[in-house]
Amino acid sequence: MNPALIGALQRGDIRRGDAFAVAPAPARCVPSGTFASGFAALDAELPGGGWPRGALTELLAGHEGIGELGLLAPALATLTGAGKIVVLVAPPHCAHAPAWAAAGIRLDCLRLVFPRRPRDALWAGVEALRCGGVAATLLWLDGMFRGGLPANSLRRLQVAAGEGGGAAFCFRPAQCAAAASPAPLRLQLQAAGGQLRVQLLKRRGPPARQAILLDVRQPADFSRSISRVVAGPALPAAGERPEPRRVPA
Amino acid sequence: MRLDIGASLRLFGGLSGLLERVRADLAAMDIPAQLAVAATPLAALWLARTGGNAVCPDLAATRERLAAVPLPALQLAPPLARRVEDFGLRCVGDLLALPRAGLGARVGKPLLLDLGRALGEIADPQTCFVFPEQFEQALELPAPVDATPVLLFAAQRLIAALAGWLAVRNGAVREIECLIDHGHGATTALPLAFSAPVHQAARIERVLKERLDAVHLPAPALALRLAAGDVTPREQRSHALFDGAGQGDEALADLMDRLVARLGPQAVQGLACHADHRPERASRPVAGKPSATLQAPPPRPLWLVEPPEALPERHGRPQRGGALVLVAGPERIESGWWDGGDARRDYFIAIDAAGRRLWIFRDPRPPGGWFLQGVFA
Repeated sequence: MNPALIGALQRGDIRRGDAFAVAPAPARCVPSGTFASGFAALDAELPGGGWPRGALTELLAGHEGIGELGLLAPALATLTGAGKIVVLVAPPHCAHAPAWAAAGIRLDCLRLVFPRRPRDALWAGVEALRCGGVAATLLWLDGMFRGGLPANSLRRLQVAAGEGGGAAFCFRPAQCAAAASPAPLRLQLQAAGGQLRVQLLKRRGPPARQAILLDVRQPADFSRSISRVVAGPALPAAGERPEPRRVPA
Repeated sequence: MRLDIGASLRLFGGLSGLLERVRADLAAMDIPAQLAVAATPLAALWLARTGGNAVCPDLAATRERLAAVPLPALQLAPPLARRVEDFGLRCVGDLLALPRAGLGARVGKPLLLDLGRALGEIADPQTCFVFPEQFEQALELPAPVDATPVLLFAAQRLIAALAGWLAVRNGAVREIECLIDHGHGATTALPLAFSAPVHQAARIERVLKERLDAVHLPAPALALRLAAGDVTPREQRSHALFDGAGQGDEALADLMDRLVARLGPQAVQGLACHADHRPERASRPVAGKPSATLQAPPPRPLWLVEPPEALPERHGRPQRGGALVLVAGPERIESGWWDGGDARRDYFIAIDAAGRRLWIFRDPRPPGGWFLQGVFA
């Protein structure tokens, strides 16, 4: 190879197409970098080996309830276990505290924000992202806006995440996959049998070739026989019985 | 206002540094002022009245400068002032040139004593200013104000005064009452509440800004009033050697205060477990410590649908965009007959056609039916 070319390739600001890019250093001194997602297969595909800090991550889930939060649960458990604060902005439902606690997430480190107007939701999201005391912000903004999230909002969120230096996970409907986005990391999530299919739509680095199948927390799998009687005997279910059900001895 | 600055010069970086700071603070508060520095309080007062920004740090310079002070700056009683003028005296120097004993007989003892105090011959003890026990300050606006940015700008002066008052007491406040007066007895009260005691003017300003943005003024504001609640001693925290958590805590408290100020107190919640078998009561939207009564709970969904969504039933199977497949269950939860919230339900985990995992229950009591209560996300 041409020695001049080799010299050029060794420069820090030159990125080869088949290697992960190093995130540019933010202007302010904030703790950037990544933190482990808790899934080895996913960490291997993410630039830097984990979820990025100080940058927006888009999670495009086909439907809710396929394990999209289970994907984040190990990382959130690690963060809150260290006393870091996680803020949920405009979550789609009420959070069920026992389930969050069972996932290993410290409840006293969770803050839920329920804005009523779309403008307030975007403002609350930007403010939470800009705050240096928040380690991760989870946003469900598309449900607040009737015509979808305005085009420049994602840019504002991305800039705010860069200022605050915390992780930012924006849950969005799957239809947004085709639209351009300033988020440096975009993941498409689909249910695939008992697993979660994760397709990396965009990352700083070479395009991902194939989807990853992850075993996220499956409520039905880790206890098949949950027929636990809390008080009184269970009534026989009316009509036909589902196949995997077992009657406890 | 008289400041004894003799002991403070080193702290504020010398006389010029101190004067610069006083001038900057006065300019920030938009107060026109004449400054003068002299060796005695009375001389400083006379020099300030004369104008010209006299700076005479020692007694000799003060005496020299005093000689040129015109007599009206002494603000003598009118009859005395006329008499002194009739003598042909124009400035303090003329007074000092006359023999003291004779002067005392002609102009009276008080003026002679004042001259002695100004020249540093007689001690001139001053009473110290004592800050009031309660902070309450009002500000009349020069014109009726409609726009909240203008109101916030006006409030900045009151907040700066409050911050100064708190600094003197080394205190912090949790609650501040801001009252907007619309005239004719109509007022708008804006109570500001903080998650932790605050003393920084910037934090108070940011919370007040969100409150002002959220509130609708019924009429233009004529006056502002700021009153501090109970003062707590300021928490002293030594600075962390490395970039510690203290900074993040403060930033978080600031964020929470602003979110509450704009969205309302019920829009920002913490989460806590409560020992109850009914899922809708096992989770409480309060900030507090989670109860430690969880022992290996059966699978529970992260999201709870409130209130539970009724599901249609066809051929004995629940439907939601097609038939649901029950993959686990039932789990009987029966509780609450004692508090009116009686519940007897058989819970199942179901998967719908799109792969969503749902938590549904069947109510065995009439009228019965299937309900969706949770989503495993």
